[in-house]
Amino acid sequence: MAVLQRLCALVGLLILFGVNTPLDGARGGPAADQARSPRNASYNISARLNPATRTIQGEAALGWRNITAHPADSLRFHLYYNAWRDARSTWMRERALSSASPPADELPRRADEWGAIDIQWMALGRGSDAQGDVTTQLRFIAPDDGNPDDRTVVELPLASPVAPGQSVTLSYRWTAHVPRTFARTGAIDNYFFIAQWFPKIGVLEDAGWNCHQFHSSTEFFSDFGVYDVRLTTPAGWLVGATGTERDVTKETDGAQTHHFVQEDVHDFAWTTSPRYVERTAHFEHPGLPPVAMRLLLQPEHLDQADRHFAATRAALGDYGEWFGPYPYGHITIVDPAWQSGAGGMEYPTLFTAGTRWIAPKGVTTPEGVTIHEAGHQFWYGIVATNEFEDAWMDEGFNTFSTARVIEHVYEPNFYAQRYFGGFVPWVFKDLKLSREVDGDRLTSYRSAARQDAQATPTYRYWPPTAGAITYNKTALWLHTLERHLGWPTLQRVMSTYFQRYAFKHPKPGDFFAVANEVSGQDLTWYFDQVYRGSQTFDYGVDQFRSEAVGNTFHTTVAARRYGDGVFPVDVQVTYEDGQQSRWTWDGRDRWKLFQAEGASRAVSVEVDPRRVLVLDVNRTNNSATLKPDGARAARKWSLRWMIWLQDQLLTYGFFI
Amino acid sequence: MSRAPAILAGTFALTLGISLPLALAVRDMLQAHLGNSLMAGAALRGANYEWWQEFTAQATALGTTFVPSIIGFGAVLLNLSNLLDNVPLLTTVAGVTGAWLVLWSFLSGGILDRFARDRATRGRGFFGACGAHFPAIARLGLIALAIYVFLFGWLHPLLFNTLYPGVTHEVVVERSAFAIRAGFYAVFVGALVAVNVIVDYARIRIVVEDRRSAIGALLAGTRFVRRNLGAAVGLYLLNGILFLAAIAFYALVAPGATRPAWLALVLGETYIVLRHFLKLTFYASETALFQTRLAHASYTASPPVEWPESPAAEAITNLSPTFTP
Repeated sequence: MAVLQRLCALVGLLILFGVNTPLDGARGGPAADQARSPRNASYNISARLNPATRTIQGEAALGWRNITAHPADSLRFHLYYNAWRDARSTWMRERALSSASPPADELPRRADEWGAIDIQWMALGRGSDAQGDVTTQLRFIAPDDGNPDDRTVVELPLASPVAPGQSVTLSYRWTAHVPRTFARTGAIDNYFFIAQWFPKIGVLEDAGWNCHQFHSSTEFFSDFGVYDVRLTTPAGWLVGATGTERDVTKETDGAQTHHFVQEDVHDFAWTTSPRYVERTAHFEHPGLPPVAMRLLLQPEHLDQADRHFAATRAALGDYGEWFGPYPYGHITIVDPAWQSGAGGMEYPTLFTAGTRWIAPKGVTTPEGVTIHEAGHQFWYGIVATNEFEDAWMDEGFNTFSTARVIEHVYEPNFYAQRYFGGFVPWVFKDLKLSREVDGDRLTSYRSAARQDAQATPTYRYWPPTAGAITYNKTALWLHTLERHLGWPTLQRVMSTYFQRYAFKHPKPGDFFAVANEVSGQDLTWYFDQVYRGSQTFDYGVDQFRSEAVGNTFHTTVAARRYGDGVFPVDVQVTYEDGQQSRWTWDGRDRWKLFQAEGASRAVSVEVDPRRVLVLDVNRTNNSATLKPDGARAARKWSLRWMIWLQDQLLTYGFFI
Repeated sequence: MSRAPAILAGTFALTLGISLPLALAVRDMLQAHLGNSLMAGAALRGANYEWWQEFTAQATALGTTFVPSIIGFGAVLLNLSNLLDNVPLLTTVAGVTGAWLVLWSFLSGGILDRFARDRATRGRGFFGACGAHFPAIARLGLIALAIYVFLFGWLHPLLFNTLYPGVTHEVVVERSAFAIRAGFYAVFVGALVAVNVIVDYARIRIVVEDRRSAIGALLAGTRFVRRNLGAAVGLYLLNGILFLAAIAFYALVAPGATRPAWLALVLGETYIVLRHFLKLTFYASETALFQTRLAHASYTASPPVEWPESPAAEAITNLSPTFTP
């Protein structure tokens, strides 16, 4: 009887989703010959959200095609929500390593605030050879660390392998319990941001399945496809999702079903809440395709709508000019609810920004995160690198690109600090943030520089410093490369790489090859250090003298390489008469002596005066002057510090 | 207060004198890090954030307090925020603060004595009063310390680590969360003020009535506040408003990073002097209130043989110029 029921359900699903139709011809999508991507993992999904129980009941039909040269004898799926089933998952264990105490919004949790995903039924069908119910054949595996308590990857062995070029169709039902937000997916009050919410197939490569467990410091990796998704939510709740909304239908119980379709993407996320306020605008830019922008905004941020749109325009414009056009024609910006923990995350054609109730102008909140997440549409959405293994390729590239946009559009921006529980901002107009210091990238990298070589798979980075290596180190070494090669050359490198690997899954070597090819230089020496190694760069002035010898002055500079990284640098001496001497040093030796005879006394010396080596972890030791201002500067700042201390005494003394 | 400029100068000098050695230590740290680098020039002309980041990265102990928030009005916000959010002080800074509080407590006997008499007491008389009243004031201080430890060690965590997260657990509107937090701040500050106002009048009673019992003074202070609640609270609020006006004024004129060092010092120290002035005005106004509503005027006015040692009697004289003993 049970078998009969399951067979009936399978037939129903096949009818419902029309999985016998060609995968590339999903309803509303362009024909396969117009496809931008391989479209080898396409989904038809129907899901209903129950806000009261915070559960999603879903049904899906997945069409998957083996695009490798090897047969697949199993299928592997991500079950990301199971990372929050309990504290024993790999994600939670790694999270515990990330800091001495868990983030305040993560622990402790009520029982109903954890998440989980359970496949209730799965059937395999390949043409007319449907095998029927395969639910019992599913088994959890932990390919990365063998953790028996981790249920974030499930494997389905196949009785008959899927040959190269062949397709397979799977139908399944699942239940997802939406957690209070973990990793920027979840719910709070009546705000839902739903990502990584369905059983998602991994990526089959020639080397086998690339389907990692969920790790605390990494994100995701999936194949491209067509997503045709119907989401049933309470009536009156606005819904934003990957893709465009094709239609809305009213259910018999009063709920509404929103139908979204998107081609050539590798994920699908959505959000719903009755509190959203919707705003729309357009992006138009010479030489770039127009983009319809939809903003789902929190009511308390209504006055910041234009700032969100302006930042998104800045990203689409600059990224479009530098790397290549945004191809989808629409984008959804989500302003997440306070405390939702969903801010600052990217999904195809949709991203979450994040702002504050008090967001003073001159500070890049919400602009910084908006540009960054909009930028991920390019570095992640279109160039779909493996975030489990090479997270630096999207996060680092995007951090670098974001910084360029902010420098281009939003300078000057200022240092700000928040007080009183983080609610009250104060802007320090005297502290202008240049690209070199904005985002505290060098500060973060400096302390993490030796923790991991970047070539280590990201999921194996030391969790507390994974972000610094992934985001900041990459942005710094790309910035250094920009100054070494010149922006026009690096821009051609990046645009070539972007266009060559759009809708593909490039590896690190692909970028390095493009860089060498387009720049016309063999940059292996550089990538060996910044990618394959964990060297730090630190050049400085060891000794500096300028002494009168007869009628001339003898100037001596001893430049030193304090770090283990090697990079060519200039050494520049400035004389009292304004003249300058400049030497180029290959930077290989531990130290090098530079000497000059001249009619004028030297005033100062600087190693790397053009600041090419942005990776230099100690800039203060890069220069020396014979007329130092150190004492005066120290006096100035110590007196300011003293006023702070006096005020502190009086503040704490107020109550005596 | 205006007739006792030496007290203002003295308390300012005390604060300056306590702060200066640490400022010199910080100066040495900054100078050692800047060395003869060209970075110093940029730090001298304005705020060299890059150097600041590098300094912070290697700073230890006192050096870790050298943060951008010390610039201008940020210093005031940082201190108020740290106080209300119960941010632990660096050991060195906590030690200096403790020493300053002890010294201030010592001086408070002389200060209140001076205000109560409303005539110059000279150094000998001033420090004599400091010494005479310090044992009782110190005992009162220990009681107050125990209460403050309770407030910061139990009430604050209860409000901000337990109740606030619980109340805001499902709050999705930031301004609502801020309003709730502001409410908790009000509760906490209210508790601090309640203790403070009672301890203030207890201290004044010790001095004005020449009492020796700290507990007795505390109880008397409580009775005084209860019997004169409107006046005591009103006076506290008035002084609180003056304090807020002072920091608002400083917010307008606080020196940024690019102001010349001498101008920044003048503006900053002027603000510090103003803070001292307001604190002493607070003391003076509370003393005047206590004297005008003396709880035990008949007791403190006699016996006449002790005349003129009792500042309370002097106060009565000042209030009744035609009276002659």
